[in-house]
Amino acid sequence: MKLEDSTKYTSRCFRGEPAPCSYACPFHMDIRSFLEKAGKGRWMAAYKTLRNATVFPAIVAALCDQPCRGCCQRTVLGDEAIAVRDVESAVLRNTKDRKPDSYVIPPKTQRVAVVGAGVAGLSAALNLAQKKYPVTVFEKQEGWGGSLRSHPRFAEFDADIALQFSAVETEFRFGTEVESLDELAEFDVVYVATGAGGEDFGLLESWDRGLLATSDRKVFMGGALTGVTLMEGIAQGIEVSKTIEVFLQTGRAGLTHGAFKNDVCDRSFRHEGAVSVPLVVASGPDGYTADEAKEEAARCLLCDCDTCIATCEMLKRFRKDPQKIGLEVYTDMNVNPPFSVRALTREAYSCNICGYCKSVCPVDVDIGSALQLSRAARMSAGIHPAALHDFWLREMDFATSEGAFASAPKGRQTCEYAFYPGCQLGASNPEHVLRSYEFLSAQYDAGVLLGCCGAPAYWAGDEARMQANLDEIKKSWDDLGRPTLVFACATCMSLFGRFLPEIPRVSLYELLAASEDIAPVSPFTEATVFDPCAARDEHGMEAGVRTLAAKAGVALEELSEPNHCCGYGGHMRIANPDLYDEITQHRAEASEKPYIVYCANCKEVFSLRDKENVHVLDMVFGLDAGGRVPSLFQKRENSLMVKRELMKEIQDVEFRPEEHPWDALTVLINDDLQRELDSKLISAADLKEAIWLAESSGDKLCDEGDGTFMCSMVKPVITYWVNYRETAPQTYEILSAYYHRMRFESGE
Amino acid sequence: MESKDRVWKCCKCDRELVAKKIVFEYLGHSVSHEVPACPKCGKVYISQELAEGRMSEVEQQLEDK
Repeated sequence: MKLEDSTKYTSRCFRGEPAPCSYACPFHMDIRSFLEKAGKGRWMAAYKTLRNATVFPAIVAALCDQPCRGCCQRTVLGDEAIAVRDVESAVLRNTKDRKPDSYVIPPKTQRVAVVGAGVAGLSAALNLAQKKYPVTVFEKQEGWGGSLRSHPRFAEFDADIALQFSAVETEFRFGTEVESLDELAEFDVVYVATGAGGEDFGLLESWDRGLLATSDRKVFMGGALTGVTLMEGIAQGIEVSKTIEVFLQTGRAGLTHGAFKNDVCDRSFRHEGAVSVPLVVASGPDGYTADEAKEEAARCLLCDCDTCIATCEMLKRFRKDPQKIGLEVYTDMNVNPPFSVRALTREAYSCNICGYCKSVCPVDVDIGSALQLSRAARMSAGIHPAALHDFWLREMDFATSEGAFASAPKGRQTCEYAFYPGCQLGASNPEHVLRSYEFLSAQYDAGVLLGCCGAPAYWAGDEARMQANLDEIKKSWDDLGRPTLVFACATCMSLFGRFLPEIPRVSLYELLAASEDIAPVSPFTEATVFDPCAARDEHGMEAGVRTLAAKAGVALEELSEPNHCCGYGGHMRIANPDLYDEITQHRAEASEKPYIVYCANCKEVFSLRDKENVHVLDMVFGLDAGGRVPSLFQKRENSLMVKRELMKEIQDVEFRPEEHPWDALTVLINDDLQRELDSKLISAADLKEAIWLAESSGDKLCDEGDGTFMCSMVKPVITYWVNYRETAPQTYEILSAYYHRMRFESGE
Repeated sequence: MESKDRVWKCCKCDRELVAKKIVFEYLGHSVSHEVPACPKCGKVYISQELAEGRMSEVEQQLEDK
């Protein structure tokens, strides 16, 4: 894997970039951070942000014309922009110690002359003096301040300038007019900032707006002389001090700043849920009190994009920026223990891979695909935690072998349509498949293709297994005469669209909706359609279900966050059971209305959460929407039953499933334990096998106190333990069952 | 969870299990822990409490490495 293979999914993310106000600010101050600090009353911290960005904070707080307010996202909500300058003034008043910091830096020898002691020249002089360059300021007037000397508030500004220069050594030559640059031959560099209409020594025409350089390589120029505003002049002083330092070190002027490549920020920031808050009005003539300033600063929306994080439980839980995730997908493949370890495993395997983050992202950042890449890379390198997906891969093996079946309609070799119900529909309710096929075969030249689309392999990152399955499907499809496949499962339909685009696809629900013979009935008069995540781009499927709901007379209310994964996607529940619980609970609570579902997995999730729901096929065929969620064992039995029925009906062949010696055993499991075992993904088939192995070999433990037995069964990835009691010949009551992933070296 | 004072016997060897240090292996890492085992054949017993408690924690830590 190359770095760009993973970062391509996340590199467009602009989370953490400056807010729109900062782009507008002549100083590019981090106004968001300043207001956040001020809003918490952290006056010193806020002051330092202000001081470091603006050089002369009192002058800026008094005179800045606040272009930031023109970009303030508060205005999007209809509020007035944040009164940044008033907050700045309050910060100055409330900061007790404004003494500038002094840094221990080796003194430089190259000398700097600044011509003009207006704020533009002073800004450059102060910034270079802080870097310990010997700076001499020439000013024809008898003091600093330039055009501000006549301002009514000059006393405040004078004090600010004196304060900021108090920690540096700078030589001021007031009352000294420089008439020719020849007078400054002893200096290594000259910054000319003589004010509007001031002396330019014949160099203004050659002035470079970007570098602030002139045709005389050691002379730089800025401030009102070049036509900029007072604030821009101060900001230029900061920039030119960096350019001059590079010039003094390398002999060439070069741009040093790179953070603000654009003059404007056109990023879209969403503020859903933000409430309108009116501008805080100062109670007295002296501006905001401390509390008023805090209140006003706290109106800042702290603009930053967190759309994906705000809408995804997984991202919220791990609090990692998308760009960092993209980077870690790569670095996780190149760890060097013990010096570096993987940082992304739990996130990678906790993702639903549902694509919701991409669908809400303004710039299509695709975290799911980045994490899917991580799973695939780890699988192909053999460094994947196999136990996290073992159960579903075994289910896929079953669905693609014993559970698989492909046939054209009775007496035919090929067909125009073939029903692809997917592995879960029949497992969850055989009637859904059998009745759907009955409908299809009556109306269309329709065969059937039972199998698994490969989602378990895809989500496990097992690309080889995924491809082998696709090849098998393709072969079956070819054998059936390349029919249009009719899908009931959105996951199957979207995966086929992506990996087998040559196969024509249509959803079962569209065909049902188009049939005049279908008259759906609903147990609810009002409901919400819970669209599975995989149906996001399957608009025909979504529309078909809504048409069927409308035919049943259901008044529908749409979800505010449609196609959000129910929790099942990505097979993440073993990797992160707590997160799975959180997600499923949130989805169940996304609407107070009952759900109409059309994904067997969504149905199972909501039924287990006791969320009222009905599968659209129950509505279509008038089936009982209730009933319990089948156990893992029952699901397999259901799948085999579907195959048995269809084989008999279409081919008149008796299907005999593979037989195992433990099939004859009966296990008794009470309801609570059954629910627990299903949530742990322990099937009764595994329990039977383990008990059969123990009973036939005698390799078991016994507790003579209560007469129960304990046995274990080691599978390639998981070791099962079963505590049981024999209640009749070949009949066993299960008392508990659990598993672990570690292997032990002796006794096995 | 079962009570800790259950006494398990190996059915094959008819011996009560005794505490024994066992090496566990997962994802290329090894850790050792004392668990009940048959003194004769070495058959090990892992309780539900251990499997779903400390072992599960260590498994997750090793998966995350």
